[in-house]
Amino acid sequence: MTRWLVRRTVQAAVTFAIAVVLMFVLMRLAPGDPLSRLQESRPMSPQEMAHLRALYQLDQPIHRQFAKFVRGVFTADLGTSIEHGLPVTTLIASRLPATLLLGGAAILLNFTLGLWLGVRQAVRRGSHVDRALTVLSLAGYATPSFWLGLVLAWLVGIRLGWLPVAGMRDPLLPPDAPWPARMVDVAAHLVLPALTLSIVTIAGTMRYQRNALLEVLRLPFIGTARAKGLPERAVVWRHAWRNALFPVITLFGLWLPLLVTGSVFVEMVFAWPGLGSLAASAASSRDYPLVMGAALLAAGLVVTASLLTDLAYALLDPRVRYS
Amino acid sequence: MSWTARLVLAAALVGVSGVWPLLAHRESASIVIVTGQEATAPVPTLMEKSQNTLANQDVADQLFLRLADVGPGMVTAGDQGFVPMLARSWTRRDSLTLVFDLDPRARWHDGAPVTSRDVLFTMGRARDPAIAPRLANVTRRIASVEAEGEHRVVFRFREVYAEQFYDATFHTAIVPAHLLERLPPNAKAWTEFAARPVGSGPYHWVRRQQGEFIELAANEDFFLGAPAIKRVIVRVAVNADARLNLLLAGEADATENIPPPITNIDRVTESKHLRVVPVPSSNLGYLLFNQRDPAHPGQPHPILADRDVRRALILALDRPLLVRAVLGRYGDVPFGPVSSQLWIHHGAPTPAPQDQSTARRLLAGRGWVDRDQDGVRENRNNAPLAMNLLVTASSQQRQQMALMIQQQLREVGVKLDVIRVEPAVWAERRAAGDFDIDFSAATQDPSPSGLAFSWTCDGPGNAGHYCDRGADSLLFRAMASPTADRGLWHQFLRRVEEAAPAAFLYGQVYVFGVNRRFPEVIIRPVSSWGSLWRWPAPRS
Repeated sequence: MTRWLVRRTVQAAVTFAIAVVLMFVLMRLAPGDPLSRLQESRPMSPQEMAHLRALYQLDQPIHRQFAKFVRGVFTADLGTSIEHGLPVTTLIASRLPATLLLGGAAILLNFTLGLWLGVRQAVRRGSHVDRALTVLSLAGYATPSFWLGLVLAWLVGIRLGWLPVAGMRDPLLPPDAPWPARMVDVAAHLVLPALTLSIVTIAGTMRYQRNALLEVLRLPFIGTARAKGLPERAVVWRHAWRNALFPVITLFGLWLPLLVTGSVFVEMVFAWPGLGSLAASAASSRDYPLVMGAALLAAGLVVTASLLTDLAYALLDPRVRYS
Repeated sequence: MSWTARLVLAAALVGVSGVWPLLAHRESASIVIVTGQEATAPVPTLMEKSQNTLANQDVADQLFLRLADVGPGMVTAGDQGFVPMLARSWTRRDSLTLVFDLDPRARWHDGAPVTSRDVLFTMGRARDPAIAPRLANVTRRIASVEAEGEHRVVFRFREVYAEQFYDATFHTAIVPAHLLERLPPNAKAWTEFAARPVGSGPYHWVRRQQGEFIELAANEDFFLGAPAIKRVIVRVAVNADARLNLLLAGEADATENIPPPITNIDRVTESKHLRVVPVPSSNLGYLLFNQRDPAHPGQPHPILADRDVRRALILALDRPLLVRAVLGRYGDVPFGPVSSQLWIHHGAPTPAPQDQSTARRLLAGRGWVDRDQDGVRENRNNAPLAMNLLVTASSQQRQQMALMIQQQLREVGVKLDVIRVEPAVWAERRAAGDFDIDFSAATQDPSPSGLAFSWTCDGPGNAGHYCDRGADSLLFRAMASPTADRGLWHQFLRRVEEAAPAAFLYGQVYVFGVNRRFPEVIIRPVSSWGSLWRWPAPRS
């Protein structure tokens, strides 16, 4: 087990390093640089550009820039964002809670409602409910998140006026307002983006759960449970569902990076102050330090999630340890 | 009572206790302005490099004051068209010396008086190329700034010119020396101050929620009169749809420049609680013709180096139609590179109307004839009259207009390939001269002197390589003139139009959306929200 764990950890570290190097190189190879964007509405003289290029060390050869970046990774100094003028670590730290909240809420919805609906579908296989849920979930899956977000914001926020259309909190709410007020405020702002993100991702969870449960329901021990006279509810939830959770772990591992990367489009449409929208605008403006900071975090999370999933598999299924 | 029922009841109680203050606090005299960019360092003399943004400027205008502001006529020449701010009066000792008397009532937000020491400190930073290269460049004709007592400062200039006063007052507001002069001059040392700036303006800093909003509160001791709007929230929504949604849902009170398409303005107009406020902007859109060959920058462009061809392209365009189709009523066709905000815009000649028969004649006269009847003209060597048009993907308006331009030029036998690229790529290609025609847009300063940057032979921003020494001479004479003489400026504009270095397409009028509870709205083109402190109190 220990040898297996060490091997997987080394593999994960190598994958992470390759991902980071690739991102660094690809970002530099992409046309356009951070300073050219500054000229979009206010042109600058070549002298001014040369001064800025030297200031941000963009005039250095790429290997020197990379060496500086690697040093920064080990000293927790990822540099200063060119667009924002703030340390990258500060910016990421300030945006991380919002992203974790949105991603966490979406994953929670996904793995509660999604699993429950998947079970309902499996239990009523071939029924109208099963067919209707399949069509609805696939429709949600096929819907572009930004479009769905705009429609929900228009309908629920503007036409009905039930929920806030954008942002994470009401800026007019005093900072010293009682905590229930602040909590309700954030929760109200969270509903639409979390719902949008869940609707477009829930189909996967439902399908996985439905198919996994159908497989288990065919096994002999389920027939034995029924023959013992157990109520159907107990058969499904106590015996079948627990065994059908195993494949869903893989899916959970895949969704885990969503906690940090969030959804760029959903964050943009709802002006959610998260990391996804920050990274997207950084990529568009070629804000190298910020892009690399966000990429480092995302790559780290993907690799860690993958490692944790494997570990969970190994703990749950002894056969994995020896493979 | 079941467990579920208890949970629902508890949630409802929490909800009610939380929601009540949410509704109650909306009663105050506040305004929520939604913008597309976050103000990260709204401090004069720090707004350099990537911090030179409108978002920073808009917030800085609430916190800090200039010595004087450009007046409603937007005339930047002479000493008369300005409004007193930190300086209550000014006199001229001679053609090179301006004397400002500071208003003794002016105070920093921490209570300290504003003195000549603050002006000297600020101008010292502004004129230092190592600290503020952009400011140092625009204030380069100021020879010295000296104090005469606590409340008098004397500006001396290197030469006689019309915009001395403008250069002394417009480019930077004044920052507090007593809080900053002990700090090292670099931006890093100023981070703490930038996180909680102390100014002398109508509003003082309250807090920042990173990535979400900035809150300002009225400076009740403001020496020019306490603002009626007591609380200002500058809220950030990068996405244009999100900005519009906030406005339509009543979660924001105002936004500048309602995003395209034009139907969004109709949506705001139809909303019962909103109204639109058109404001002339400094935004100018034009097709820049590259007069050098992009493949061989040392050589003239095989098509566009010819003035008659450039003129034919301009005459082939129905510019008023383009403006109407994309901007509606909110734009006009400029004469020369002049937005409607510049004072020299007034009285300028009328732009030439579309004349496709003349355009065809000019092209044929230069040897461009459709020899193979495929709808595209060719020259004697059978090279087609085909070019690319570079457009940034960040502007929906320019992309929309580019397609119409493509169609209009096809009518006279010109093939245009529209190349849509990311903003960073667009700017890079433009700066490198890698284009035939570039769909440019510029945000102009209120001063026409800025024209020298892009429209003179040696202008550092002359990306199209337009060069006419005669026009340069006219421009420099106009800039040096000690009076606000529109005649000289208009001569320069005529000369530019004759040389046709670009097709000047539109001067944009920005359309602000503002909640109707604000009975009177004062928006100045030079600073969108700079007059907020003069707005009357909103209706509850």
